[in-house]
Amino acid sequence: MTIAEQERTAEPAPRTPALRVVIVNGSPSRPSKTMGLVDVILDTLKDMLPIEASRVDVYHLGAGFTGAIEREDVTPEVAEALRLAENADLLIAAAPVFRGSYPGMFKHFFDLVEQYALANKPVLLAATGGGDHHALVLEHAMRPLFGFFQALTIPVALFASAGDFDGTTLLNPRVHGRIEIGLTDVVDLLRARATGAPWTRAFE
Amino acid sequence: MSFEIGIMTFGELTEDQATGALPSPRRRVRETIEQARVADQAGLDVFGVGEHHRSDFVGSAPAILLAAAAEKTENIKLTSAVTVLGSEDPVRVWEQFATIDLLSAGRAEIIAGRGSYTESFPLFGYDLKDYADLFREKLDLLLKIRDQNPLTWQGRFRAPLVDADIAPRADGGTLPIWVGVGGSPASAVSTGRLGLPMALALLLGPMTYHQETVELYRAAAAEAGHDADALPISINVHGFVARTSQRARDVMYPYFAKGMMDNNHQRGRGFRMPRAAFDAQASPRAGLLVGSPQEIIDKLLGYHELYGLDRALLQMGFGGVPQKDHLEAIELLATEVAPVVRREVALRHRSAA
Repeated sequence: MTIAEQERTAEPAPRTPALRVVIVNGSPSRPSKTMGLVDVILDTLKDMLPIEASRVDVYHLGAGFTGAIEREDVTPEVAEALRLAENADLLIAAAPVFRGSYPGMFKHFFDLVEQYALANKPVLLAATGGGDHHALVLEHAMRPLFGFFQALTIPVALFASAGDFDGTTLLNPRVHGRIEIGLTDVVDLLRARATGAPWTRAFE
Repeated sequence: MSFEIGIMTFGELTEDQATGALPSPRRRVRETIEQARVADQAGLDVFGVGEHHRSDFVGSAPAILLAAAAEKTENIKLTSAVTVLGSEDPVRVWEQFATIDLLSAGRAEIIAGRGSYTESFPLFGYDLKDYADLFREKLDLLLKIRDQNPLTWQGRFRAPLVDADIAPRADGGTLPIWVGVGGSPASAVSTGRLGLPMALALLLGPMTYHQETVELYRAAAAEAGHDADALPISINVHGFVARTSQRARDVMYPYFAKGMMDNNHQRGRGFRMPRAAFDAQASPRAGLLVGSPQEIIDKLLGYHELYGLDRALLQMGFGGVPQKDHLEAIELLATEVAPVVRREVALRHRSAA
């Protein structure tokens, strides 16, 4: 499956619109540490405001994605995944570090995104790597990518090392703490940007 | 608990620096048992054997070496350092260590670790991608075997146990099970949550290297409802004791450097340790426990203060230190270092109480 619909918050206040969160997942693994980090981000976010989360697994979009050179080449399912990301209230860009940067497949997805589709869109940057020395991938590789898109990247970007996980479960309380800080910084902004209908899904 | 000092070995085979010849595995296993005997007679508290599955080590089956050591010793505790639990069958591990416990009248222990080398996983048919899940599940089973017999248990990686009778039971009914932790925050947290004693591996680096590990461990233990301050912490660390600082460094350096190059490799290449780097690791604020008895005393008390340390296992023969030098170091550790550290730590506990 290319687009994984995830849960929506159990009990949003009736008239509060849900924040439509779309995760662009740059990890080929299932399960993965990268999604282990994102799980904690979503759990933390869920406690702050109603959310409705969907995920695009770029490594599993198939030949209609990998063989596409231009936007017009993509299959309808891939076009839907791209639109989902372009229309998110909050985009979570999450990737493991491969060869010193985000994986090529992750970049390929954003190479197909419309140039101005992410302008002024809140984007949360998250990455995982084998060690702490990879942490600046967030600032030196991911943030410039979204700088190109004129996106509104959230100031605190989130990184976790292999040693912070038991398997794919994030255990290091210091990373949990940083997630809490990063999201608290922007929770008012996110609330203001939430557009999801309270009881219906935005994209059926 | 009172402060415990012991030694450990991997039984590595390192070529002789003068002749280039490898010691015979037969000689090396005999030397290993002799180290246990001397440590026991001199009054050390713990003897540990590590597990490495490669032809540059004789220590692939620590339980067998510990059983042999049990026959030559009277008082010393016998532990694996570590048992690579992820690639073991916990039922067999329990049977072996319970047997050592009977042979030694209650002196057996297990340090369960994930393992720093990975050779044992393909050897026993395990997939390295299950590394974390294997360890979690097998530790769970080992702890349940310790707690109850017969046992009904089910997991992913081995056949279920249905009302299984696992024998023998240990001499005193139970065995101490420690968890070996290399320093990753996640293993510190998961070990703390389980409320198990933690054996820290300290290879090189500043003495404060594991401060965060210890903080995370105790915080996770407290959060899970364990008495965090009562949980024992041990370090497994390289070192060497001699009469003088200079002699300790001069004896240890060439063998340690050789061992780091020849035995401490994952892909056929070790790493070079220049003398200056070694001396830096031997300095007062660095982790290597090499020096005169007084230097070792100061460092162990420093570690006790930093981590609330209860136990230290020194690896003093790494890289083929000649048996005669190794045995002398064991005696010095037992007679000049251990009594002072035990006394000082006991005094500190008393004045703190």
